[in-house]
Amino acid sequence: MANPAVRIGARGVTRRFGAVLANDAIDFSAVPGAIRGVVGGNGAGKTTLMRILQGLEQPDEGAVVLNDEPVTLADPADAFARGVGMVHQEFMLVDELTLLENLILGREPVGPGGVIDRDKALDEARRLALSAGVELDWGLKVSEAPVHVRQIVEILRLLYRGADVLILDEPTAVLAPQQVRDLLNLLRRLRDEGRTILFISHKLDEVLTVCDAITVLRAGKVVASTTPAEANAGRLAELMVGETVDFPRRVPQTRAVEAPLLSLRGVKALDSRGVERLAGIDLDLRPGEVVGIAGVSGSGQDEIVAVTTGLRRAAAGRVTIAGKDATSLSVAARRAAGLGYISADRAHEGLCLAESIAANVVAGRHRARPFARGGLLRPRTIREHARKALDRFGVIYRDCGDAARNLSGGNQQRVVIARELDRQPRALIAAQPTRGVDIAGAAFIHRQILAFAASGGAVLLVSEELEELLTLADRIVVLHRGAIVGEVAGAERSIGRIGRMMLGEAA
Amino acid sequence: MIDYVLAAAALLTTPLLLTAIGGLINRLGGIVNLGLEAMMLTGAYVALAMSSATQSWLVALLAALAAGGAVGLLFSLAVTRLEANEIVAGVGLNVATAGLIGFILKDYYHSSGTIRLPDVVMLPRIVLPGVAQIPIAGAILSGKDPLTWLSWALVPITAFVLSRTRAGLRLRAAGAAREAATALGLRPLAIRDASTIVAGALAGLAGAQLSIGVVGVFSVGMSGGRAFIALAAFYFGRNRPGLTAVGAALFGLFDAIQIYLQGRGVAPELMQMLPYIVVLVVLTAIGVGERKRRLLQGV
Amino acid sequence: MSAAATAGVVRSPRRDWTALVDALAPFAVALIVGAILLAATGRNPFDVYGLMAREGFGGAGRLEATLTAATPILFTAIATAVSFRAGIFNVGVEGVFYLGGMAGAVVGFTLTSFPSPLLIVVELAAGALIGGLWLAAPALLRARLQVDEVVSTLMLNFIAANLTLYLVNGPFLAPGSANSATPMIVEAGWLPRIAPPSTLTLGFVIALILLALYALWDRLTPLGFEARLNGLNPRFSRAIGIDAPRLILKVMILSGAIGGLAGSAHALGVTHRFVVGFSPGYGWTGLAVALMGRNSAVGMLIGAIVFGALDSAGTTVQLFSDIPLEIVDVLQGVVTIFAVVRFGRLRGRRSAR
Repeated sequence: MANPAVRIGARGVTRRFGAVLANDAIDFSAVPGAIRGVVGGNGAGKTTLMRILQGLEQPDEGAVVLNDEPVTLADPADAFARGVGMVHQEFMLVDELTLLENLILGREPVGPGGVIDRDKALDEARRLALSAGVELDWGLKVSEAPVHVRQIVEILRLLYRGADVLILDEPTAVLAPQQVRDLLNLLRRLRDEGRTILFISHKLDEVLTVCDAITVLRAGKVVASTTPAEANAGRLAELMVGETVDFPRRVPQTRAVEAPLLSLRGVKALDSRGVERLAGIDLDLRPGEVVGIAGVSGSGQDEIVAVTTGLRRAAAGRVTIAGKDATSLSVAARRAAGLGYISADRAHEGLCLAESIAANVVAGRHRARPFARGGLLRPRTIREHARKALDRFGVIYRDCGDAARNLSGGNQQRVVIARELDRQPRALIAAQPTRGVDIAGAAFIHRQILAFAASGGAVLLVSEELEELLTLADRIVVLHRGAIVGEVAGAERSIGRIGRMMLGEAA
Repeated sequence: MIDYVLAAAALLTTPLLLTAIGGLINRLGGIVNLGLEAMMLTGAYVALAMSSATQSWLVALLAALAAGGAVGLLFSLAVTRLEANEIVAGVGLNVATAGLIGFILKDYYHSSGTIRLPDVVMLPRIVLPGVAQIPIAGAILSGKDPLTWLSWALVPITAFVLSRTRAGLRLRAAGAAREAATALGLRPLAIRDASTIVAGALAGLAGAQLSIGVVGVFSVGMSGGRAFIALAAFYFGRNRPGLTAVGAALFGLFDAIQIYLQGRGVAPELMQMLPYIVVLVVLTAIGVGERKRRLLQGV
Repeated sequence: MSAAATAGVVRSPRRDWTALVDALAPFAVALIVGAILLAATGRNPFDVYGLMAREGFGGAGRLEATLTAATPILFTAIATAVSFRAGIFNVGVEGVFYLGGMAGAVVGFTLTSFPSPLLIVVELAAGALIGGLWLAAPALLRARLQVDEVVSTLMLNFIAANLTLYLVNGPFLAPGSANSATPMIVEAGWLPRIAPPSTLTLGFVIALILLALYALWDRLTPLGFEARLNGLNPRFSRAIGIDAPRLILKVMILSGAIGGLAGSAHALGVTHRFVVGFSPGYGWTGLAVALMGRNSAVGMLIGAIVFGALDSAGTTVQLFSDIPLEIVDVLQGVVTIFAVVRFGRLRGRRSAR
């Protein structure tokens, strides 16, 4: 086969979801034997584009290009048959099987009677591993394999099944730094063997190190197509976010004299494998303060949230809420002590979608007056109270007895905020508070967060959107590998500076 | 006395082992099958009826196998295609099947529970000359029916098929990770159905052993909850054929001891509780181990 | 799923008819299966069903028999629903039904000097107590050691059945009795008939009161609310501060107590002692009814009455015709299987994920 100019690409790909233009006439192309980076913030359209390239979605306009030809991909199997394979963020491996069994599953080399030819399978596995420059214990069960090994197996499985275009979606989010280096080396090797790789990430340093060419998406459009030679982290960050000049920053409100409303001291956390995910966090939130947490995803943000809310126990250290030692308190006791929590996972943690809107507003306070009296709930009071709260937070709803799932995403998030602020907490943890919310809704939520701070509350804002952090936070704490690597406040706040810190570089 | 108990235990283990292996295969395929009791009862009835009709124990066995597999398929379709809850559907199937067979017994044989049929050919007993005289070994090995030998042969065969063949690999994948299996182009629901058919067929054979292996009659209460003891055996064995066989043999032995001790001052009911207590103890021990591991890791 | 109206503390005025269709569909399937069986054996299904309907509901006497038969099913359905609401798949009600029956019987033939109302209260309390304690064990195993409650409660059922069997054949066997039964409960300990000569006893009234309390619990108590939240979305329930292990323990004790009460009420009202085969599977039938009724009070009442009618009609239909009693088992079994089927899968298949 003669080498095509474009192994995989898109030509004018447009995809709408209702009024939202997820992909807006996207053009890009990846040549064989090259790594093409695709970067963009949340909502930039990366995921939709990848789903289209895989045949999971069909473009409304335009077409996917494979080997210089526009094609229609019926489904992932079709894409795979044309050599396009995807490494998923959540690995599609079977925990109970060994690495070797996972590799060959569905394409087993068998002898008579359907007996698997182990020697042949193992030879093939070793050959693949050798060409990838890795060494694996193929008899290990996936459930016992560390996460980077699982990822390698997933990649090798695509090769085993004959893919020569690999799409990797945020592949380094789960890896430790050394493992990231190894993965990037593996990708370089695969490229040098002539394979085409699409590397989707918002970790700019990795994109700059490994990619031959970079496509930057913002709000569904290609805003730049560049190369590492032409760009740097600061420039890429600016392209991802948009205009670089003046964010509507608020005047820093720090009142250092007052006692903190939320305080972490030497807080450590381990993951289920016993690996340290938080390496001794010290953090103080004073009244009226909005503190932002920045960092590439998986740097310890989730663990800070979980350890502070009490959803997970700290392995070491102290958590204090409004002056009260909360280290060993339950979730309920921490909430009673004055903690509010806007979850990043609205559908599974922020709301009970099958329950009524009103129930969602009072949940957690349902045992307290005036919602319960004499051991019984008081539906009318709950309903009336919920209506007031919902109106105050601008929720558009038909009946507060309707299930929360009937609301739009933005309205659902407002219900979460109504519940959490209506309780009048002292400190609020806001994790990705505007994720999946339209611009008007996001602006409303921003105003609520600022109003809460202005009334003397403290806010811990975790966001993947640097713009959001810059808009709301008085100071921004930057996480890298589970540790605080720097803090920027006031006029020093700039995307480039924070971006460098997020990568672990000295600011 | 020991010989008597061991000989009985070997026979009593057979239906447990066959059914437990079926349950294990089904479980690995992703379905906990409480309907095995129904499949066993069906096999018991069909085997007796066919043995009487054809005077061939082999035809009777094949018929029991097919009938058990057919009931298994019906159950499986309800679970895999209609998304019935497997626990409740299994219990419902047991009630409906016992009802159906009881209905047939009354309507066709005019019997209210037990039937004897003419010309029933029983399973042959394989006497091993030379072994029969050896104490203990003779009692365990000699004078057993073909299904007993089959059940023990199935233990290594099942282990081999599960670990070394394509069918076994795909079965385990379909049971453990439906989405991943689908993504790789497998059809996990069809694989689950196949595993239930196998489980039903084995339970059908187990039923045949009850009706034409030992007594030569059929009664509606014949399966007597044996499928649930088999279930306990595979919970005991935790998806491993060898350990499951140990569980089945242990529970068969309990049963033999219980029968032996009847009228000798030990309550049989207390012995019959043992399999279930053993399972609870095993599960608790596993839970304690896991909890220790979690605490060590501070999660 | 349709955008179903909620049924929680605060309800939407909208009604969702698909739920009703889903609840009735299992009966339709069962009637069809039964009809095939009847037709294949040379009977007219419509005649048989007509006869069964008359025997189940025709006249006050038959209705009373039906309600009597429905009573244990209603009890066990409520006991199951309490734990299902919280997302705990507890199948252990069958076991506590046995234990509660035994406890009630033992108290009833032991404390013979107690005055009637007190004796009845003590009998019922003994059943509830033993049931609550019994199901606390799997609750603790689940909450502390993550032992799957389906397996543990299933195993406990067999243990309970064998334990009571041992007791009725051994320590508590009635002197001179050959047929494995305890001594009779003294008459002061029987649940009185509410309107003699009707056979309906106070047990039915207790079940109805319990059903009303369940509806109240489900809709208007904090614990019921928490159970519902935990059942619908355990991560949400944790995030707003509900302590899941404690919740599980509470609902399982509650479920066990109601199941035990069911058993003792059955002993006091119907059998007047504990006998072998005390439960023909009431726990399982109740479970099916709870599933079919989607854990709602009205749904469970209807389901229990229908199953009760099948029970009472089956017995008499066999007496007056040549139709084997087992037709009832076939019908009940098929209803149980299809109680948990998603008929939505048949209406319009959504593409597999």
